[in-house]
Amino acid sequence: MRVRRAPFRLRALRLLAGTALLGAAFSAAAQPSDVAVKAAFLSKFGSYVSWPGASGSGPINLCLVGSDPFGRLLDDAVRGQHASGRPLRLLRMNNADGAGGCHVAFVQGSNPAATGAMLGKLRGKAVLTVTDARAGGPQGMIHFVLHQGRVRFHVDDAGAARSGLSISSRLLGLALSVRQRG
Amino acid sequence: MSHTRRAALLLSAAAIFSTPAPAFAAAEGDATQPQSAEDLADLSIEELAQIEVRSASKQAEPLSAAPTAITVLTSEDIARSAATSLPEALRLAPNLQVQRLDGRLYAVTARGFNGYETSNKLLVLMDGRSIYTPLQSGVFWELHQPFLEDIQQIEVISGPGGTLFGPNAVNGVVNITSKDAHQTIGGLARATVGQNERTAGLRYGAAIGDTGAVRVYAHGFDREDLPDGLGVDQNDRFKGWQAGFRSDWGSGANRFTFQGDIFDNKIATSSGDGNRGHNLLARWNRQLNNRSALQVQAYYDDFRRRFTLVSDSLETFDLETQFNTSQGGHELVLGAGVRTTRDAFINNLNGFVLDPERRRLWVFNVFGQDRFALSDDLDLIAGLKLERSSFSGVQVLPNLRVAWHPNEQNLLWGSVSRAVRTPSRIDRQLVFLPILAPATNFETEKLIAFEAGYRGQPGSSTTLSVSLFYNLYNDIRTTELTNGGLPIQLRNGLKGSTYGIEANLTQQLTGWWRASIGGIAMGKDFELKNGAVDIANRAALGADPDYQLIARSHMDLGSRVQLDLGMRAMDDLNTTGVGGYVEADARLNWRASEAFEIYVAGSNLLHARHAESIDPARAQLSERSVYIGSRVRF
Repeated sequence: MRVRRAPFRLRALRLLAGTALLGAAFSAAAQPSDVAVKAAFLSKFGSYVSWPGASGSGPINLCLVGSDPFGRLLDDAVRGQHASGRPLRLLRMNNADGAGGCHVAFVQGSNPAATGAMLGKLRGKAVLTVTDARAGGPQGMIHFVLHQGRVRFHVDDAGAARSGLSISSRLLGLALSVRQRG
Repeated sequence: MSHTRRAALLLSAAAIFSTPAPAFAAAEGDATQPQSAEDLADLSIEELAQIEVRSASKQAEPLSAAPTAITVLTSEDIARSAATSLPEALRLAPNLQVQRLDGRLYAVTARGFNGYETSNKLLVLMDGRSIYTPLQSGVFWELHQPFLEDIQQIEVISGPGGTLFGPNAVNGVVNITSKDAHQTIGGLARATVGQNERTAGLRYGAAIGDTGAVRVYAHGFDREDLPDGLGVDQNDRFKGWQAGFRSDWGSGANRFTFQGDIFDNKIATSSGDGNRGHNLLARWNRQLNNRSALQVQAYYDDFRRRFTLVSDSLETFDLETQFNTSQGGHELVLGAGVRTTRDAFINNLNGFVLDPERRRLWVFNVFGQDRFALSDDLDLIAGLKLERSSFSGVQVLPNLRVAWHPNEQNLLWGSVSRAVRTPSRIDRQLVFLPILAPATNFETEKLIAFEAGYRGQPGSSTTLSVSLFYNLYNDIRTTELTNGGLPIQLRNGLKGSTYGIEANLTQQLTGWWRASIGGIAMGKDFELKNGAVDIANRAALGADPDYQLIARSHMDLGSRVQLDLGMRAMDDLNTTGVGGYVEADARLNWRASEAFEIYVAGSNLLHARHAESIDPARAQLSERSVYIGSRVRF
């Protein structure tokens, strides 16, 4: 399996942006928390994924499986959001048992083993799994990391392919690394 | 969102998809960053990816990357346990040894030396506030009754943490952090009722403006007298309350925390016995740029204890600052701090007094630690702390660690460090002439610790940590005669070693069932130095079991029912009086809705009573305790 680095142009951009930040007197920028940005990302991933079979018009289920690091931030982020014209519905669940009906699932157990087990339950199901490096341990199809003071992510496109999902190139283009399908 | 900010952000988004040059525009666009969730919701994913964020903790690293023996208790672990107090919750950590003495007193240690007067090698921090006492270097656990539902996590580090945390972090560090006020919006009420204890508490949190939040809490408890054991009946019924607040706010690169607590509790032993105190803490975190951050923290803490005609008080002011930066493969932490304490110890019960009765102490420290990558998978961590106390002089606390992480799932680490327990007021200045003379030459107790460990995920649903330690101690406290007779005097006549293994295995058995088993096995080997005698018969070494085992099971029986079981097996304390024991606890929770849960829980279920401490004057027996409780969120 090949791990592709981000395209050269993006890498160059990041490098330049980095030096610009270091050089400029960094003003007291209004910085949101990483958690708020992750919540905003979660509310948008649904627009860049297509699920197998029915396109449907019902709501896209965004599930928080396990612990909830977001609190109200995610409710705020989801409010009024649509994914490809379908309303977004936020569901919180303790474990992965009922998560088969989720379209996007942020999975975080109380420890890495619990996260791993919940991801295992969702393996092969048409659920876009999302994890956070801050919790340590196993990775879902999208894995949030903090990179140079920004929220970024790795994408396991091969895992998504096994579950019958396809992730748009627009999302892949933002990934720090992509585990390629096939 | 304002027009200009929107425009700037659109511009930065455009930059991503055009040529490299406008990237500078994107960087400058950061100066007009969105703050609220609503603002963020308007952005595209490309814009989101360019937003500078602040992290909850600059040093936050995943548990799997910390090259030290660490257990983390999460808020969920605590909420699902039968514990109703902080020291009972600490029993969840397999690398801590907890002894209950009576209705209010506990002794807690890591890697040995346990006992009420000997567990003096553990540093405990609550939201950055040190709670070990310079009076006798121990922790008065009865002074600390946080609202357990507000605890974010408890990090338990076994082994020295002297470089980052300072003296007294000899055998371990317990770092308790409460939730950010943004995480506790809304109300929570909790009540428990049982034969041995009743508790009730209320917390309410609210958002303030766009970037702030605050919560207030108050809770009370009433614990019944424990049956007498080795010690005579203490009439130790303990009841009291604690209340407090925490607020967090910030805009941009600046974040502020302001919090405080106040408490009052009573012991039934004699009229007027009890403790009261209060504290205030302010912290400012400033993100200097995307690689560096500065933290400044100040706190004030004041408490008074009174027990059978003996009273003592301690007032603490503390100011510290810490700078973190990461560049060129280095993660550097630099810090400095100053603390001053003013204490008083008044004894109307017997002739033991502190001379002087009141004293102000000053402690200054500077420290630095660097973690740098020797190669892709090998990190070296080197740190040094210098501390100067107006009471006990200059201490040098170095540590060197190496971490090898061949992949994300596995970490092997090793370390060598030096830590000290600085003399307490009682060590040097307790006097009862002609029986006990002051020990002005009492020195620091010293430790050189060698550790090695593994932490990782041998399987996708398994986590394992193992650590080995070999501790070389010197100048441990003895009680000696002077010129072959009275008065006696405290000296530093013991040296020796402890050695052992700690391990913890967690296995997710199925999606709904997680189990863990962990514990510690250790040995002690001490001898008197040439010419030394110890008429206290090595009391300073404490009384420790050769092993303890902690097994826990967590089950989600459907989405509404949780069953948590725990068992602990403790070897005898290598002395007469307290044998080994096995005890169990359990909690069955029914979550009727998101807002309402009700549970029945119990601890020490296997026996009506058992002994945990050999303290001849204080030890009572722990009892079986069963209660029902409920939490309501609104």
